[in-house]
Amino acid sequence: MKELKFLIAIWNTNLQSAMEYRAAFLTQVIGMMANNFIYFAIWIIFFERFKDVRGWGVNDMYVTFGVLASSFGIVNLLFGNAFMLSDIIAKGRLDYYLSLPRPVLLHTIASRSAASGMGDFLYGFISYGLSGYFTWDGLARYVLATLLAATVFASFLILTQSLAFWFGMMTNFSNLVLNAMLTFGIYPITLFDSYAKLILFTLIPAALMGAIPAEFIRAFTWQVLGELLLGAIGFLSLAIFVFNRGLRRYESGSAIQIEV
Amino acid sequence: MKTFSKYWSIFQITLINSLAYPGELVGRSLMIIPFMWIFYQLWKVTFSAAGADIINGLTLRDTLWYLMLAETIELGRPPIARTMSENVKDGSIAYILNKPYDFLLYQFSTAMGETIFRAILNAVFGGLTVLWLVGAPKHPEGFLIALPAIFGAWILHFCINAMIGLSAFVVEDVSAFTWIYQKLAFIFGGMLIPLDFYPQWLQTLAKFLPFSSAIYGPARLFVTPTAQFFINVMSLQLAWIFVLTFLLVVAYRRGLTQLTVNGG
Repeated sequence: MKELKFLIAIWNTNLQSAMEYRAAFLTQVIGMMANNFIYFAIWIIFFERFKDVRGWGVNDMYVTFGVLASSFGIVNLLFGNAFMLSDIIAKGRLDYYLSLPRPVLLHTIASRSAASGMGDFLYGFISYGLSGYFTWDGLARYVLATLLAATVFASFLILTQSLAFWFGMMTNFSNLVLNAMLTFGIYPITLFDSYAKLILFTLIPAALMGAIPAEFIRAFTWQVLGELLLGAIGFLSLAIFVFNRGLRRYESGSAIQIEV
Repeated sequence: MKTFSKYWSIFQITLINSLAYPGELVGRSLMIIPFMWIFYQLWKVTFSAAGADIINGLTLRDTLWYLMLAETIELGRPPIARTMSENVKDGSIAYILNKPYDFLLYQFSTAMGETIFRAILNAVFGGLTVLWLVGAPKHPEGFLIALPAIFGAWILHFCINAMIGLSAFVVEDVSAFTWIYQKLAFIFGGMLIPLDFYPQWLQTLAKFLPFSSAIYGPARLFVTPTAQFFINVMSLQLAWIFVLTFLLVVAYRRGLTQLTVNGG
């Protein structure tokens, strides 16, 4: 409860900071929504021409893209530094967080907020609304699935970026796996054979961010909910474990850092 | 000639600089591999579902080589708009504007210097992946024939991105514009789906726009290297280069009057 209050205080500060530049905030939110609309038009064109991909149609794409956008957006909005963790580690910028009496990982990743995340988050709901699968209980499942997918995504970022404790600068690798996660998450899962699916549930858990949450939103089953919960709890535990192990190896730099 | 050598030197310096961090260069270029693999999965299933070896004049092999070149052009270009926006935000624009060179030609020289090795490595990794997945292109000579169009595509990208970058003189943060431009290039340039697969009305519209000259034209020329297609692609591309260069110069002159430099 104490940590939740702390998180809310950070998010509140981030929001106030963003509101200082309202025009820039709105430009980013609206710009990102427009960006997603235009990107999705490609899939509309594709399915207009080819109808379906092994039983996967444009309506499924709306739900998958929606939940992926919302979960990406919520992480970018509330835990924006998860995307930059490897840089922070490699450049010795953890010093600031280590010197304060709060959980290092939570404090670090929550200390940055990207306004465009709000655009992604909201767009996801619109995409779900347009999918033809909308129901009120489906909306409740959408919210739950988004939170669980966001947990998997944030954990994946923490996990891969924490490798910087061992290997130093990981910017390219981080970008590579981030792009792989998003790309594989968006594409219809019916494209992949069983070996590829195994990778998409484990090494690059894109299925737990796109296809599986989408399946849960379309229709409730205990099995799919179990898969999502297991994935979220498993990846989060692993991410925290790896970060804490890495933290023992952390070496402070002598650079003067200013956190703004 | 002396003027040209100045920009040639800037180009060379940036080109050499881009090799300073080979790990960075290679790492960034590896991204094309998962992209090509997933494209292969998508189009293999699509061709199979359509029950056809050729769709609108393209085979699966053509489609993959087309997408490889389209990705190479897109992934090879540097983020000029973002760099210009950063220059405005941190005030370093003041140090660029007061040097004895033309601002736009300087930006073009550095952009091209950054592009060359990025594009070569993307073409190598992307090419090897596609070669492994579907075999050699039907017309390997198409790459040489498409080279002038690839160069023209980078000029077009530069003009549009520099115009977006110049908007930083007024609004400072240009990221929203760059996202939207990128997605317009995806959709009207045929980045993920060749324009040939679009509905007829959208094909007609898209093929006329500059995005198609910047992506679809060179990529399609690579897989269909005919003299007639070469003439069509190059003439439309040159027309757009002329129009966009004119607009860029006008935008730059107007933008200068609005620029506020933040410290430095």
